[in-house]
Amino acid sequence: MKLRNIKTIISREYLTRVQKKSFLLITFLGPVFFAAIALLPSIIMFMAEDKGKQIAVVDQSGIVLPKMESDATITYHDYSTANPDSLKTQLSDLEMDAMVLVSPLDSATNSVNVSAFSNSPISVDLKERISDKIDEAVEDYRISLYDVGDLKQIMNEVKSDVNISTYTIGEDGEEKISSSEVFMIISLLLSTIIYFFIAMFSGMVMQSVIEEKTSRVVEVLVSSVKATELMFGKIIGVACVALTQFLLWIVLTAVLVTGVSAFVGFDTMMGDPAQSEQMMQMTGQMSGVDMEQMAAVTEGDGLGVIISTLKEINYGQLIFGFFIYFALGYLLYASFFAAIGSAVENEADTQQLQMPITVPLIIGFFIAFYAFKAPDSAVVFWGSMIPFTSPIVMLARIPFGVPAWELALSIAILVGTFIACGWASAKIYQIGILMFGKKTTFKDLWKWLRMK
Amino acid sequence: MKLIECKNVSKSFGEKVALDNVSIDIPKGKIFGLLGPNGAGKTTLIRIINRITIPSDGSVIFDGRPITQEDVEKIGYLPEERGLYRKMKVGEQAMYLAQLKGMSAREASAELKKWFVRFGIESWWNKKVEELSKGMAQKLQFITTVVHKPSLLILDEPFSGFDPVNAQVIREEILRLKDEGATIILSTHNMESVEELCDNIALINKSKVVISGGVDEIRRKYGNNNVEVIYTSDSSLQSSRAFKVLSDIDDSGRHTAVLELAAGATSNEALQELLNQKVIVNSFKELVPRMNDIFIKLVTEA
Repeated sequence: MKLRNIKTIISREYLTRVQKKSFLLITFLGPVFFAAIALLPSIIMFMAEDKGKQIAVVDQSGIVLPKMESDATITYHDYSTANPDSLKTQLSDLEMDAMVLVSPLDSATNSVNVSAFSNSPISVDLKERISDKIDEAVEDYRISLYDVGDLKQIMNEVKSDVNISTYTIGEDGEEKISSSEVFMIISLLLSTIIYFFIAMFSGMVMQSVIEEKTSRVVEVLVSSVKATELMFGKIIGVACVALTQFLLWIVLTAVLVTGVSAFVGFDTMMGDPAQSEQMMQMTGQMSGVDMEQMAAVTEGDGLGVIISTLKEINYGQLIFGFFIYFALGYLLYASFFAAIGSAVENEADTQQLQMPITVPLIIGFFIAFYAFKAPDSAVVFWGSMIPFTSPIVMLARIPFGVPAWELALSIAILVGTFIACGWASAKIYQIGILMFGKKTTFKDLWKWLRMK
Repeated sequence: MKLIECKNVSKSFGEKVALDNVSIDIPKGKIFGLLGPNGAGKTTLIRIINRITIPSDGSVIFDGRPITQEDVEKIGYLPEERGLYRKMKVGEQAMYLAQLKGMSAREASAELKKWFVRFGIESWWNKKVEELSKGMAQKLQFITTVVHKPSLLILDEPFSGFDPVNAQVIREEILRLKDEGATIILSTHNMESVEELCDNIALINKSKVVISGGVDEIRRKYGNNNVEVIYTSDSSLQSSRAFKVLSDIDDSGRHTAVLELAAGATSNEALQELLNQKVIVNSFKELVPRMNDIFIKLVTEA
């Protein structure tokens, strides 16, 4: 192996790819897509929020109106004495957004019928807010019918809302509050990313090998450099493209998310705990925002747990794991795909030969999904040891915490397998790239492997 | 002086024998024709000299010592199946291939510019390869083969795909490179260019070397000792002790005859006999067979 040749090959493979329009497009559209996923719920909520609604109330029951207290977003106006039918036609003249008609109290059910009329449809949110108030009024009325002095207060006191706090006990015996949902989401995210990256960039290697073979440029190339130099130069060149794309995605997504958040206003984003949880993970992961700082900004139990969970994750292990498993998993699969690319003359012929390689990759992805449910099960353990699935499965396990020896063993097996399979792939590759005419079978591959 | 010596080179792919104990010497500074029918093993031999393929047995000596991977930088190879990266720009493509042959970027750029000027194709530098016509791509490929000043050039069917004008340009370039000291292996089915360009040849058939040596020597060797005589006479020549008349065409007293000299008979004895038969000799020419005939004879008789 001559280092200078490999360098020349790597730089061609790298530069021709990053200069492509499709690369630039994916690199810049990717973050827009990720940021949209992270921010969309907040933006929709923000846009859809009702502001300054004017509601005319015609209360024929006499119990509802006192509960209709105006607030920042809705102002209620008493039109109980007005004629509902004529009021309906005057809504826009009176600058009312809607009219709510509450029927007289039904003495049999102790309830009221409510109708709302408006010129343009009222939002679900507004409808819920109004119906909440009316429910409250009706409930209070019913309680008062029992004539037990402090019944309302008693009811409030007996209400129960149990929430289970989950703790993980660290090796030092310290208990930490954590949320398994947070682990699951991170685990899912990581294994999905690594699966798609391995599949996408290994496929790119295969395509490029086929292109060199069918354009016949490969014969000129191997008259200058060794076939193995060409193969590994290509694999490493494409890996550099993958890393470039990944780093650009992280940076651009972080810039976009923080930029848009700042523009829209941070507190509105924090309105709903569920959506802030999602957003925090994205921003936390992508931009490395200081978790403690975020904790200081936000309040509330749900967020506290999420933040505590995020703080508990071993980020060193996570980042190390991500890069090492991506690198090794990609090297392993890319060398397989390079060997297959060398054996065929067009992409349609790859289907059959690809099968034994894509199947383990997909199995790995499925085991990873199982890892979210049962990170300590035997299937998941073996999945994270067997080198063909371990890059994906181990990544899914890491957020839940993996003993160091298991990590070391899994990496060692993966490295060993890559060396063996890389050697075998290189052998097949150097014969395959010069073979034309006959369609290659597994028997041929085996023959090439044993050829001296 | 020999630049390349193939010593007992054999190569088999599984059961199939591609080369069987092939030994040839390629003299330095000459043009060497590598001939043979399709599938005879020429490409395998070329790939072995190029170190693309490792021989199963035997060795290749380059300039006096066993060939190494370092030596491939001194070889320029134009494969029969041409190929370039279609999506790459002409200049980048040429730079890449030159650098893989060990040139520095600066050296490659300077040399390539010279060649582009020589072929009048400077304006192509920023074009994509897929925009070039077949002939243009061939020219580019020829440049990338020779730009690093290889001491050994291996050209497999170098004239295919060129129009007669461009084929002549390439022919002249090959002769110029030879004058500059390069050794050239020319593999072709075009026997005219073999006669015109090659100093030595080897003919491979069914994995074996059938014949090798100087072109003139081989042609003479395969001559049947025939001579062509043009003479003027009222009567036709008669076979005699010195020769046998194979054919005689009479064009109103001017005859063109092919004579086969008898074994051991010299051309002087034949001439003597012609004078005895009282004909006026206009021309007496030794008949050397065309390479084409030798090729067909050797391949079909095998």
